[in-house]
Amino acid sequence: MAAVATLVVVLVLFLTPYIWIILTSIKSRLDALADVPVWTFTPTFDHYPKIFIDKDYLPLVWNSLIVAIFSTVLSLIFGVPAAYVFARFEFPGKEDLFFFFLTTRMAPPISIVVPMFMLFSVLGLTDKPIAVILAHTTFNVSLVVWMMRGFFADIPREIDEAAMMDGHTRGGTFLRVLLPMAAPGLAATAVLCFILSWNEFLYAFILVAFEGRTLTVGIPGLITPHGTLWGQVAAVAVVATLPILFFTFLVQKHLVRGLTFGAVKG
Amino acid sequence: MTRVLDHGVAPLLLIPSVILLLVILVGPFFYMVWTGFTDLHYALPGRDGAFVGFDNFRRLMQDDPIFWHSFLLTLKFVFWVVLVEFIFGFALAMLLFHYIKQHRFILTMLLVPMMLAPIAVGLIWKLLLSGDFGMFTYYMRMIGIFDQQTSVLGNASLVMPAIMMIDVWQWTPFVTLVMLAGLLSLPKEPFEAAVMDGARPVQVFKDVTLPLMRPIIALVLLLRGIDAFKEFDKVFILTGGGPGISTEMLSIYTFRINFKDWDLSYGAVCAFMVYLVVLIMCSVFYKAVYWNQGRSKPTQAVTS
Repeated sequence: MAAVATLVVVLVLFLTPYIWIILTSIKSRLDALADVPVWTFTPTFDHYPKIFIDKDYLPLVWNSLIVAIFSTVLSLIFGVPAAYVFARFEFPGKEDLFFFFLTTRMAPPISIVVPMFMLFSVLGLTDKPIAVILAHTTFNVSLVVWMMRGFFADIPREIDEAAMMDGHTRGGTFLRVLLPMAAPGLAATAVLCFILSWNEFLYAFILVAFEGRTLTVGIPGLITPHGTLWGQVAAVAVVATLPILFFTFLVQKHLVRGLTFGAVKG
Repeated sequence: MTRVLDHGVAPLLLIPSVILLLVILVGPFFYMVWTGFTDLHYALPGRDGAFVGFDNFRRLMQDDPIFWHSFLLTLKFVFWVVLVEFIFGFALAMLLFHYIKQHRFILTMLLVPMMLAPIAVGLIWKLLLSGDFGMFTYYMRMIGIFDQQTSVLGNASLVMPAIMMIDVWQWTPFVTLVMLAGLLSLPKEPFEAAVMDGARPVQVFKDVTLPLMRPIIALVLLLRGIDAFKEFDKVFILTGGGPGISTEMLSIYTFRINFKDWDLSYGAVCAFMVYLVVLIMCSVFYKAVYWNQGRSKPTQAVTS
């Protein structure tokens, strides 16, 4: 009983802040700014159309989607073949190269974004989604390599041999046998890439300032020293997070593996 | 086709991803290192990138107390959040492991804080900690932890603990999740043997659980350490480094030098230092977690 009680308290502590922002997004201005926290109120849904239609935040959602989708697709195209090679072949310098991928995944954005900003300025790519797509691909491609190596390694080598006995080439074995078998892992990896790109702030903040802004980049600008419209701010926060939570629950089974670079299978 | 030939050709599949990373990551990185040896400055006239040798590094080492303030602040932040998250997270994992048979729903709920965009986490807590109408502030005042005047985010001595608390709120579930996965993957026999020998629960924990969990503990500590060291988003939106420089952690400081002062040459040196620390932690992580457990099969570290 004590254990259950503790857990209830813990869950309340972890969930209340998020529930509060959802409540704030449907509160009237007076209720949101009340001295004493208001828990019951007549909901209003005005803030959502106001911020997304009147104040034109809808394109930011669109930009976030474009960036997340394209960086995920690019990461998979570049990362999956590499992961396959790591899982199935031996070659000199293999583990060093694998470590190199890890360093690119862990590199602090603040150290990479400065020169990347210079590079993209020279190429005239700043304020274009392509800049953020490429930036996000640098960390997601490594995540793909690390996660998918594990999923390919889980498939017994006998499967490869059997497929090749049946007349598949090695490439055909990869595309028509291994890839379908690793599909659940592939889907989980893709969703995790999508989430990481969607949630990312610093690269996007530096690389796109106006037209190309993503949703996370739009958030700090909503806070003003006086008279922040918290209802609208909360509405943006909810739109930026609720779809992600839904995706998270879809890949929960593989989440631990993704977040520990394949070291722990959940 | 013989397999020997296959083996020779297949690694070529690595080339596209490596080229991609070289062009948009490694290339710019080395350009940045080069910038660190110049006087490039976007806001001052005449500072257009002439070679100045080790001047910027000398400035960092001898002439920049704020950098070292940021460095120390970041180390303190990493130490405390990792410690507290580890203790809470591990305790919670043990609780779930021993007392709750159906933890799926609870785990699902626990995922919420860690999967929110960090910038949104900062935003949420900015609202909760507001001095005038913050829900959290209100209840803390009610039970007497905050005084009536204090706005936590504007108070130089309270703001760092507040940011650490927020990080603990966000990442303790991660520790729980990974530790629970680890606990569930442990073999049963050592525990049964210990109980047969009459070991008390505390002894079992100390002599059986902890040693078996050591690789996973190392993994969790390092992953959280690396991540906490890079902290930027939450501080950026909560305080922007203030009041004064009381929350100016390394990433925030580096950001200010580069994108507010536009001192890109000195900023490059700061950025390089951040990178260096993370690279060191990263290689410790790699050695500790993967190297010993068979070089070619990293994912067999733990299976459940």
